[in-house]
Amino acid sequence: MAFDIDRYDHVASPLQSWDPRVKVASLGLLILVIALLKTIPMAVVAIAIAIGIMALSALPLHFVSHGLSFVLMFLIPFFFIMPFTYPGEGAFEILGVSFAWQGLRIATLIFIKALSIVMLSFVIFGSSRFDISMLALQRLKFPSIVVQMLLFAYRYTFVFLDEMKRMHISMRARGFIARSDRKTLKIYGHFIGTLLVRSFERTERVYKAMLSKGYQGKLHSMVQFHSVPLDYAKAAVILLITIGLLIGEFGGTLNTAVQAWY
Amino acid sequence: MHISDGILNAPVLIGGFAGAGVLAVATMRNMDMEEIPKISVITAVFFVASSIKIPLGPTSVHLILNGLAAVVLGWRAFPAITLGLVLQAIILGHGGVTVIGVNALMMGGGGLIAYLVWQQRHRFHFKKKLFVFGALTGAVGVASSGIILALALATAGEAFHAVAEMVLLAHIPIILIEAGVVGACAEFLQKVKPELLAGQQAPRLQTSTDAG
Amino acid sequence: MSEQFMIEADNVCFTYPDGHQVLKDLNCRIRKGEKVALIGPNGAGKSTFMSHLNGVELATSGRILINGAEVGKQNLKSIRRQVGIVFQDPDDQLFCPTVFDDVAFGPLNLGLPQEDIRARVREALAVVGLQGFEERSSFHLSFGERKRLALATVLSYQPDILVFDEPSTNMDPMNRRNLINWLKNTDKTLLLCTHDLDIALEVCSRCLLLVDGHIIEDGASAEVLYNRKLLEENKLELPLALMTHELLHGILHEQEMDEDHRQIIGNFLHAHRHAHGTEGHGHVHLHAHAHDHGHLHEAVDEAHFNEESHHEHGDHQEHVAIPHSHDADDSHEHDHHEHHHHAAEVAESDVEETTSGERH
Repeated sequence: MAFDIDRYDHVASPLQSWDPRVKVASLGLLILVIALLKTIPMAVVAIAIAIGIMALSALPLHFVSHGLSFVLMFLIPFFFIMPFTYPGEGAFEILGVSFAWQGLRIATLIFIKALSIVMLSFVIFGSSRFDISMLALQRLKFPSIVVQMLLFAYRYTFVFLDEMKRMHISMRARGFIARSDRKTLKIYGHFIGTLLVRSFERTERVYKAMLSKGYQGKLHSMVQFHSVPLDYAKAAVILLITIGLLIGEFGGTLNTAVQAWY
Repeated sequence: MHISDGILNAPVLIGGFAGAGVLAVATMRNMDMEEIPKISVITAVFFVASSIKIPLGPTSVHLILNGLAAVVLGWRAFPAITLGLVLQAIILGHGGVTVIGVNALMMGGGGLIAYLVWQQRHRFHFKKKLFVFGALTGAVGVASSGIILALALATAGEAFHAVAEMVLLAHIPIILIEAGVVGACAEFLQKVKPELLAGQQAPRLQTSTDAG
Repeated sequence: MSEQFMIEADNVCFTYPDGHQVLKDLNCRIRKGEKVALIGPNGAGKSTFMSHLNGVELATSGRILINGAEVGKQNLKSIRRQVGIVFQDPDDQLFCPTVFDDVAFGPLNLGLPQEDIRARVREALAVVGLQGFEERSSFHLSFGERKRLALATVLSYQPDILVFDEPSTNMDPMNRRNLINWLKNTDKTLLLCTHDLDIALEVCSRCLLLVDGHIIEDGASAEVLYNRKLLEENKLELPLALMTHELLHGILHEQEMDEDHRQIIGNFLHAHRHAHGTEGHGHVHLHAHAHDHGHLHEAVDEAHFNEESHHEHGDHQEHVAIPHSHDADDSHEHDHHEHHHHAAEVAESDVEETTSGERH
């Protein structure tokens, strides 16, 4: 698992050069609309758009595919459960269990939507430096205390990943192999406890260092955002797409046509 | 377990963010300056710890650890868990960005319920008290979040009822595993750094029954 | 000499809320431009004392004055602008997304004008040799780079006083040497809290020994750091440089050695240490003579005042003495004899053991 989401922020693309505030707002709105789609044809359109935007972002494929692992793992069981547990009469039976197309449709719909959203999310946060993305959120009126904490948490994630790796190595050097038994649980309990103790002691020292340099609770940043007309042009394109999806969704013509087909 | 994007309806999503917002404000009240780095750093620990894979037969599971967050942060577990969810969604693609509110209610809420259980430990005195209450807290944390998750799924329609049940069942092994891990962790912390445990009363004389 | 000290501690006591008293009537005075080492066993209170210097902790009783102003809740910001503390672990001090942010943190929080900040960051990074690193993430730097960056984050707001907590731990020799050179050349007031007694000897003219919350010894580094008994009583030991000194000294006092060898060793023991005091460049000698039987003197060498060059010299008979922490007394004579005896008796055994006589 790679934790530095912004490791490709240097990759030049229309996404990377887009004012992060405008980017987050526009694509955020698109994500929200996609989440609420209820028809498969529109969902397919949505994922096509997501793939298109992903291609535009020039981010490596493995970067995004990595992020899809949770969605895949969480939703694949849905495909096996929902068609067989859909309430009411099924279309036919497999091994004595009734199978309903509607169940499959719902699972498919969710799957496509979730994939689209994760793709877009990774494009948003993969095409800018993490702290810049967070500051963009702050300019969009997210509470600054939340942004501050996210930034610190992100920074220290890497320190702890490192510590965790070292602790793991020393554990394995002493013969530890993770198994499904109580002993493993106890060891992991102590492992996490050690991480917590170290982190607690570290916070005390970090706070001292912050105070020593005059910290008074506010985060000062000299990051400046500039927007150019092109940023708003891009936003307009996304807005049009979003509206298009909504029309398609409620217009229903495409949907009825496809439904009639199957 | 987190819920992903694309399942829930607009009202539920909005309700999720609203509810999470209210709880966040409530649990961050009177937060002083020193707590900002403290909660941030502990959020980072939990974020990292949630990536640990514990073997479970042929597969492995990730820990939720909302119970442990309660053990260590008390009410402030809610903002820490929520921030952790934001990081998980953005950085790892775990859960979803539109359902952060609902996930926060689920895991953060579960954490708060777990804290209520954790605080009951003051009523008891027996050996291994810390382990037992740690385990209970861990278990209740996971169980509560599982129940809330199932309820959220149920709002999506009848089609999801079976999935909701499966999800509940799937939580059972995780409940057991987290009980073990959080119990061991709480015991460890008591021995090594008791001031890390939330809701400690003022230090009193150790009696022979306080062996925890 | 003006009587306003840069750092002044008057009977400072500090007790933690849990009742543990860490500082007990701590007194010290440090003048502008002085370079002082603070040594002591672990747990003596060095870190706690450091926290008092910028008001992170406030004394339970007694007071701390920085440049004449008493440290208190009302002037923390101005105190912190004057006192820069560089802590031991760089990861405790680098908590911003980019190098630029970390170095700008101090100036931004201490209210320095925004227009200047970019320039300050650039200068501070240049001083530590990290120019051009502004946009990088501090996590991806090597340990040595992070140590230097931690220093830069303090230099950027140009405090008059620099306090270091274990500046040289885990540093590779080259970085350590660069740091030592930088410390020797700076004209800021320095307080080095360290276990690295060699860096203390090389950089600092004065040494404070903190034991059990109290300063039990305050004197010239050469004196304090050559006091084997005092150091070992307090869980410390001689700096490496002086161990060699002592070893050779012991050898010098063994029975048979031909005159050439004796001369070579005698010259070798004639070590020079340059100190830059407030009066300009003073060339201070740290030496022991073959006939002095183990006394280490530190003296300002008048003949070399204001000269930069480094000389090898023969014996100096007349010195302008800098206050020693011991005075000539009877025990000297006694030690002479002891010393001879030991030297005569011990043949094969460890040379260090022969120098067990009193050192003041």
